[in-house]
Amino acid sequence: MLIPHPLLGLRDAQEFTYLGDASLMARPDPDQPDAEAAFADYVFLRDNPAGVHRELWFHEQGDRSWLVVTRNTVTHEILGAELATDVARRGA
Amino acid sequence: MTDLTPITALGDSVPRVHTAGGYTLRENADLALASLAVARGVAAPAPFGLGLPDAGGLAVGEGGRSAFWTAPDQWMIAAEGMAETDFAASLLAEVPGGRVTEQTDGWTAFEIASEDAAQIESLLERLVNLPAAATAPGRATRTGLEHMSVFVLRRTDSHVTIIGMRTLAASLWHALETAVDRLGGTQ
Repeated sequence: MLIPHPLLGLRDAQEFTYLGDASLMARPDPDQPDAEAAFADYVFLRDNPAGVHRELWFHEQGDRSWLVVTRNTVTHEILGAELATDVARRGA
Repeated sequence: MTDLTPITALGDSVPRVHTAGGYTLRENADLALASLAVARGVAAPAPFGLGLPDAGGLAVGEGGRSAFWTAPDQWMIAAEGMAETDFAASLLAEVPGGRVTEQTDGWTAFEIASEDAAQIESLLERLVNLPAAATAPGRATRTGLEHMSVFVLRRTDSHVTIIGMRTLAASLWHALETAVDRLGGTQ
């Protein structure tokens, strides 16, 4: 499986480690009154879609960047990858 | 005072050299390394007159110094024969305000020279899972080699530097030695 790194081009997936759903980037605000419930959802509730999924991958044996990879969990087709910092700054 | 004997990353008193069928594999104990990072959006500095490269690039400058890209806004600066000096301090003097970290003792460098480009290319095909363009002359990249994280610096057609973690020096040397022996026809 090859991951199209936005800076380095196609790289073997073995260079990466997988973290999970890209929604993990949206960490709840711990200062809000409903923080406990929000964190319970954040930590324990996950969608497990059969199909297109946005997920976080770490380029461990590479430039150590976090990527948001869009992958089809049924076909394993990789539809795109972008730097997680770019995604976070865009607020998506 | 205690009489201490310096040893190389492989534990020898002199850097190890191994030759096999046109390949020369050499431990480079004298390479100084320091990482340099700048804040996002700050223009890349030019320490020692080096033009810091973009992603996947290697820049070679005067006096055995070179620089390669390691991450966005971050580079490794290398200097031949400077491992015994405080190279990080020299680099910081070149880039006031830069984020500089000494790296020399965290890594070990192995130099592989061959008779021609084809020999290096057939070796790299076996060592790393990268497209040929990523290891073309003047390119430098980090990747996995037998599950070890290494930097692959293609200095010239017939010369590549592999920089790996110092604690894994013996395993990396074994991997490289085995590969050049097989290709060099001595095994």
